[in-house]
Amino acid sequence: MAELSVKHLLGIKYLNEADIDLIFETADHFKEVINRSIKKVPSLRDITIANIFFENSTRTKLSFELAEKRLSADVINFSAGQSSVKKGETLIDTVNNILSMKVDMVVMRHPNPGAGIFLSKHVNASIVNAGDGAHEHPTQALLDSYSIREKLGDVAGKKVVIVGDILHSRVALSNIFALKLQGAEVKVCGPHTLIPKYIETLGVTVENDLRKALNWCDVANMLRIQNERMEISYFPTTREYTQQYGLNKKILDSLDKEIVVMHPGPINRGVEITSDVADSKQSIILNQVENGVAIRMAVIYLLASKIK
Amino acid sequence: MNLLLKSAKIIAPSNSQLHLKKRDILIRNGKIAQIAASIEADKSVKLIDFKNLHVSAGWFDSSVSFGEPGYEERETIDNGLRTAGKSGFTDVVLNPNTMPVPDSSSDIVFLRNQAKGRATALHPLGTLTVKGQGSDLAELFDMRNSGAVGFYDYKQAISNSNLLKIALLYARNFDGLVHSFPRDNQIAGNGIANEGKIATSLGLKGVPALAEALQVARDLYILEYTGGKLHIPTLSTPQAVQLVQEAKKKGLDVSCSVPIHNLLFTDEKLLEFDSEYKTNPPLRTASDARSLVKAVEKGIIDLVTTDHSPLNIEEKRVEFEQAGYGTIGLETAFGSLQRLFSLETTIELLTRGRDRYGIDKVEISEGEEAKLTLFDPDREFTFSEEQILSASKNSMFLGEKMKGYVYGVIANGKTELKKKKDGR
Repeated sequence: MAELSVKHLLGIKYLNEADIDLIFETADHFKEVINRSIKKVPSLRDITIANIFFENSTRTKLSFELAEKRLSADVINFSAGQSSVKKGETLIDTVNNILSMKVDMVVMRHPNPGAGIFLSKHVNASIVNAGDGAHEHPTQALLDSYSIREKLGDVAGKKVVIVGDILHSRVALSNIFALKLQGAEVKVCGPHTLIPKYIETLGVTVENDLRKALNWCDVANMLRIQNERMEISYFPTTREYTQQYGLNKKILDSLDKEIVVMHPGPINRGVEITSDVADSKQSIILNQVENGVAIRMAVIYLLASKIK
Repeated sequence: MNLLLKSAKIIAPSNSQLHLKKRDILIRNGKIAQIAASIEADKSVKLIDFKNLHVSAGWFDSSVSFGEPGYEERETIDNGLRTAGKSGFTDVVLNPNTMPVPDSSSDIVFLRNQAKGRATALHPLGTLTVKGQGSDLAELFDMRNSGAVGFYDYKQAISNSNLLKIALLYARNFDGLVHSFPRDNQIAGNGIANEGKIATSLGLKGVPALAEALQVARDLYILEYTGGKLHIPTLSTPQAVQLVQEAKKKGLDVSCSVPIHNLLFTDEKLLEFDSEYKTNPPLRTASDARSLVKAVEKGIIDLVTTDHSPLNIEEKRVEFEQAGYGTIGLETAFGSLQRLFSLETTIELLTRGRDRYGIDKVEISEGEEAKLTLFDPDREFTFSEEQILSASKNSMFLGEKMKGYVYGVIANGKTELKKKKDGR
């Protein structure tokens, strides 16, 4: 049986094209499973997974937990603000304590870039990165690409624009790596203050005019404005941001072609996109959510098969 | 202490009579008694006949941190000075990053007392401001009189321009050397890595070269206004170096240093989020490192420093963002520099800079105090953990190829030589 080239899923940049194909093929199978009346398979009855979240998350955590349960894994959840770690226990100790209870796999979200990579070097478990600071969010990028593939048949050759706060976004970074790896063209769009100065070194182009970017693309991935990650104001008001970078029905309908609209959630309705766009037939936002479970099942299943 | 160095090749680029000559050197009571082609020793003299023995004037480092008082778990003054000696250094300038920081005459006296009796001499810096808090000037004159060789709020940028102006003006009265850390805090923000391709791909907040250049430009404008002596420690960008070069052309009394690891390593080392490579200033690009090496060769950068910063494992074995800054570097200074420069240049770099701090110069000649570094410049090896002499093991040089091995020093009437347990 084909297997992944990696023991952990720490970031898209550590995967190759064959890994992504394998994850997608496996996800195809699991997507069929979760649409059955009995949505569960017994594949991972002997696997215990800890979801360790050092940062708030609702949908990612739910999606992982559901994926794990649909694979019949035993699941434990650990949530801690970073503050509790600051009380003294190191990350390595926290995780080793949990692993002593015979846990096989750790799904971790952490506010610091590289936390998953650091952990993978110091503990004996398979690590899935569920978001590490502004570094990567690999399962999100996988489910985004999977959703594009589902909608447009293929990712290769497609033009994708990522709009919004590129500076603070792990979703943007992982998407750039995933899309480039699969042969898509990628553009980022947003105010100069939210575009990293050296972003073009990653092989993407920059466009500051939303309309031009949308006219160019096949797919627009509208990112959420992450006010919680901004230590200072990168634009004067949300209102002014929306004036320049908000996607509304009027712009969407004025484009030369029908583009696909995505959003990693949670949506700030009326900020990045208006309700009528979010709920339009061009939007695949809810498909993304559904595919998220299938993709996470695939990732966990494939990594677990390497443990055995 | 009577010693005889047998067939030691002398490396003294500024002394044409002795440079590259193989000589016996007799040391009596801490002084060089005789230098000759061959000296017969009586029984009271201890022979030193190490393999491929070379000798130069004792080495100097302008930026070294230990931990005493307050952070003895990082390094004590005693073991720190032993480490410095066994690494070839006979004089080190100690950064004021202890707890509490040395901001008064009695603190300086304490540091000097703790350092007594070792071969390597300790030259403490005092803080520039009270408690190093960046608001009011500390008693600079009093500290100078007790032996402080300069003033520095360790790696804290002087945000208040007027404070720097006043410090430079005030220190002129007694020729005090003011240090200003080259970083604009507002521009640098929470940055922890060089702003560039690598930090972008790793999602790490970047410190742009602009943050360094901007602060240096400001400092130099102020220096031009005030006069006085300014030292800019640990530069990392060619942009800032160029500003210093232009200021020197104008005749300003400014000097600067660069950490050896910024000459040798680049931000590509961060790809695995290894906190051993987390430093302040950060490792920059390959092109930056090349420019810095050139600037050292041309003498635009006055000093190279190890910026030796011992940190206990608890401060490094954590997530990259939460890890402490810095690497130890004394043990690897010689072996690293020789990867970049010729032996003569390396020795020249390791022996210059004392005058900037008002420390007595060192010469190899009969009648002078013996302040010598003993080494084998040709021995190549890979640096490994058992060769770390520091109390802390945070070295980014582990696994690196070294060219040149240090036996130790003779200074202050004492020897500090590596023993078997030091991985000799």
